[in-house]
Amino acid sequence: MEIFLQQLVNGLTIGSIYALVALGYTMVYGVLKLINFAHGDLVALSAYIGLVILMQLAGVLSPALLILITFISTMVITAIGGIVLERAAYRPLRRAPRLSAVVSALGASMVIENGIMLIWGPMPKIYPASVVPNINFDLHGVYISLMQILVLVISLVLMVALYLFVNRTKLGTAMRACAIDQDAARLMGIDVDKVIVTTFVIGSALGAVGGLFIGMYYRGITFNMGWIYGLNAFVAAIIGGIGNIPGAMLGGMLLGIFNAFISGYISSSWSMALTYVLLIIIMIFRPTGILGERVAEKV
Amino acid sequence: MMNTKNALYYGIFFLVLTVLPFFLTSNWISVMTTFLIYSVVSLSQDIVLGRAGMFDMGHAIFFGLGAYSTAILNMVYGWPIVATIPVAIILPIIASILLAAPIIHLRGDYLLVTTIGFNIVFTQALKNNVFGITGGPNGIFGVEPLKIFSITFASQKSIYFLALFILLLTLAIIHNLETSKPGRALHYLNLDSLASECIGINTRFYRLYAFALSAAIAGLAGVVFTLQFSAVSPGAFNFIQSVLFFTIVLVGGPSSIPGVLLGTFFMFVVPEMFRQFAEARYLVFGVAMILIMIWRPKGIWPVKFGRIPNYITKE
Repeated sequence: MEIFLQQLVNGLTIGSIYALVALGYTMVYGVLKLINFAHGDLVALSAYIGLVILMQLAGVLSPALLILITFISTMVITAIGGIVLERAAYRPLRRAPRLSAVVSALGASMVIENGIMLIWGPMPKIYPASVVPNINFDLHGVYISLMQILVLVISLVLMVALYLFVNRTKLGTAMRACAIDQDAARLMGIDVDKVIVTTFVIGSALGAVGGLFIGMYYRGITFNMGWIYGLNAFVAAIIGGIGNIPGAMLGGMLLGIFNAFISGYISSSWSMALTYVLLIIIMIFRPTGILGERVAEKV
Repeated sequence: MMNTKNALYYGIFFLVLTVLPFFLTSNWISVMTTFLIYSVVSLSQDIVLGRAGMFDMGHAIFFGLGAYSTAILNMVYGWPIVATIPVAIILPIIASILLAAPIIHLRGDYLLVTTIGFNIVFTQALKNNVFGITGGPNGIFGVEPLKIFSITFASQKSIYFLALFILLLTLAIIHNLETSKPGRALHYLNLDSLASECIGINTRFYRLYAFALSAAIAGLAGVVFTLQFSAVSPGAFNFIQSVLFFTIVLVGGPSSIPGVLLGTFFMFVVPEMFRQFAEARYLVFGVAMILIMIWRPKGIWPVKFGRIPNYITKE
C-alpha cells in the first residue's frame, strides 16, 4: 500500500509536468489543426534558459525571489520564442497542404534542438541541487518533497487559471471560436492572427514552466530531451483527446501515474513501450481520446 | 503513362548510376549504396503516404523487420541468405496487415500517432532482446554475404549493383501500380475517400493493400541494408528514421518518383557531403526544410496528373 501511494505521488508529479507540456500541443492543435513538433524542443530550450538565469542570479537574491524571477523571465523568453516560431515556420504555411506544415514543424524542431547543442554543447547540463530546499515530508511512510508539492501546486494553479481564461474571458471565447471554425470566427470580427499568437504565447509559457520543472525535479537536462518529453506529452494530449484542454490535463495525469506504476511494479526498460501500447489500445477503442468528441465527417 | 521522353530520362538516370561506381572512392560507393536503399524505402513509404494518403510515421518497422529477419535467420538459425529473402518479404506483409487492420479507419493525425507508437514499441522490443534473438541494443553483426549459385556479393561494388537492381525493380512495380486498377483506386481514395467509397471502391481493402505492398518493398530493402553493413542494430530502425522517410517524401513531392529520389538525395546524400560541418549541418538543414516547404509546399518536384485544362482547376 505504501509503495502504491508513493508511486501515486511520484506519478502525479510527473503527470503535472506532462500535462503542462501537453497543454501547449493541444491548444495549438485545437486552433491550427497542426501537430507542433517543435513544442518539445521549445520546452528543452526553456530548461536551458532557466539554468542560465539561475546561475547568473544565484547568491544575489533570496531563494524564493530567485525562483520567482527565474520562472517569470523564462516564461517570457520562451513565449517570445513561441511567437518567433509561429511567425517563421507556421504563418507562411497557413494556406498550404497540412502535411507541409508538419514538415516545417519537424524542421523547426531540428533547428531548435541543434541550436541548443551548438550553444550549450552536446553534454548534459546539471541543475544546482539546492534551488528548492531539499525537505521531505513524511506522511505515514509516504514521502513527499517540497519540490513535488511545488510542482503540484503551481501546475494546479496554472491549469485552473487557463481553464478560467479560456472559458470566462473574451479572448478565451475567441480562441474557442477559432478552434471550431476559423472562417466563421473571422466573419464575426475576431482577429484570428491575434488569437493564434496568443495560443502560442500561452502554450510556450506553460511549456517553459514544464521545462523548468523537468530541470529542477530531474536535474539533468540534455539538448535532445525535447523529443522524449515532447512525445510523452503529445501522447498525453492524444489520450485525453487532442484539442481538448481538460483532456490534456487528464491525459497528462493518467500518463504520469501509468508511467510511475510501470516503473515501480514492472520494469523501467519496458515503460516507454507500454506507454505506447496504452496509446494504441486507446486509439483502437476510442479513436478521439477519452474526452474527445466524436465528430461526424462533413461532406 | 511512360512516354518516350520520360523513358529517355530514366534511361540516362540509370546509365549514370551504372557507371558512377567506377569513378567513386569506396567510401562514396557506400554512401551511394545507402542512398539507393533509402530511395527504395522512401518510394515504398510514398505508396502509403503519397499515393494512398495515409500518414504513416512508422515505416522503419517494415524496413527493420526485413533487415532483422535476414540477420536472425542467417546468424541464429544458419539459413543461407537467399533462403531468407522470401521470409524478409512475407513477414513485413503479415506484420503490416496485422498492425494496420485495427487502425486503418483512424483519421490522419491519429493514424500518425499510432504508427509512431508501433515504431517505438518495435525498437524497444529489439533493444530489450525479445525472445533472446535480436541481440539487444548492439544488434547483430557478422551476417554472411549473399551467395547466388557461385557468385558472392561481398565487395562494396557488387552490393551497389544489387541495390541498383532493387531500385529498378521497385520503379517497375510502382510504374505498374500507377497504370493498374489498385493504383487508380488508391489515387481516388487519396483525393476523396468518401466519394471513392460511394463509387464502389473498397477503401479498407485498398488501404491495407497499400500497406502490404509498401511493407514488402521496404522488407526487401531491409535485406540489402543488412548485406551492406553485414550488421543490424535497433538505432537504424527507430522512430527518427521513420520521420526521415516521412520527410523525404514530403520534401521531394508526394507520389512523384523523381521527387522522392530528389528528396532522398537532399535529405541523405547532401548531409553526407557536408560532413566536415558536422555540428552545424542539421541546424542549416532544419532551416532548409522550413524554406522548401514555404516556397514549394507541394515538394521540390511535385507530381502532375493527367492534362486537366487550367480553367477547370482554377477556383
